Amino acid sequence: MELSDWELVQKCQLGEMGAFQELVSRYHQKVYIVVLGLLRNRDDAMEVAQETFFRAYRKIKSFEGGSSFYTWLYRIAVNIAIDTQRRQKRNLLDYRDNMDEVFEEQQEVAKDPFSDVHEKELREKLLSAINDLTPEHKAVIVLRTLEGLSYKDIGDILGCSEGTVMSRLHYARKKLQEKLRAYL
Amino acid sequence: MKSCDEIRKCLGAWVDGELGRDEADAVRSHVEACPACSEERRQLDKLNVSIKSVLAPQRPIAFEPFWRGVERRINEKNSWRDEWMDRLRGAFGRPNLAWSIPAVIGLALVLYSLRFWKEPTPRNNFAAVESIDAYGRNVALLRENETRTTVIWLYQNQEGDDETSGETSEQSPTF
Repeated sequence: MELSDWELVQKCQLGEMGAFQELVSRYHQKVYIVVLGLLRNRDDAMEVAQETFFRAYRKIKSFEGGSSFYTWLYRIAVNIAIDTQRRQKRNLLDYRDNMDEVFEEQQEVAKDPFSDVHEKELREKLLSAINDLTPEHKAVIVLRTLEGLSYKDIGDILGCSEGTVMSRLHYARKKLQEKLRAYL
Repeated sequence: MKSCDEIRKCLGAWVDGELGRDEADAVRSHVEACPACSEERRQLDKLNVSIKSVLAPQRPIAFEPFWRGVERRINEKNSWRDEWMDRLRGAFGRPNLAWSIPAVIGLALVLYSLRFWKEPTPRNNFAAVESIDAYGRNVALLRENETRTTVIWLYQNQEGDDETSGETSEQSPTF
């Protein structure tokens, strides 16, 4: 029978590395997706995702099960990703490199759902518009659209109310819509 | 009856299924009847699909290399700074808030009360009696108030000294 996250956490707190490895195998993909959504650079996303699990391992004794494990884990991941993003925005060169990698990644995709020129333009404009959002607005977009998390879970992760999540999502989507009006 | 602006403010929450039943019904009715808001909803749907398509990674990551990276970090010895930060977090972490909050408040009160602390006043006004040279002459300091102090020279009778002679009193003290 598969152990629940909480049972695995309790085993980790007793020092069982195997239990922690099981938690990593359950969530590494999801954490990576969220972080990549925020950073748009595979190497950075890998670094931040691994750092997330390392910090989770160090802090796991303080986890009391008040929230779900994945909410707690995402909170660590989003905080590290937002810090990283802020540092990168200060360094415009790194920021440009990120954007270039995103476009390269698009070219590598064998089966491109954006097949015609109009859709490719939309994709480029959308990436640019998303990168212009503040880290907090980007985080709500990523957590809602990619992960499909509820407003409550997003609020728990970002340390804000459901109303704030709703307001940030509305603002972020409005900004994106304004910039992409001609393509939608 | 809500206006288009009001409806559009909660359109995203409605699409996300985050509205209560009554509010969701009101938004649905409005969108079905209003072409402008219906178009707004279509754009929002397309935006959400596009965001998902753009942000989703094209390739999943393998577990083994990922785990090796995590394991390497765990096995590396923590720096002294990390260790101390962990200890501080542990000391002031949630489970310990019960004692740390009153402790911090108590410390703040003690520090604040120090502002009003005054040195206790001596029982009499003699602040000190000290010998200032090697000839048995002493000086008494009579502190009358905080700003005024009277210095009284005291002379000790010594064998062979003529009490009536003004020798000692004429000598000026050297500091």
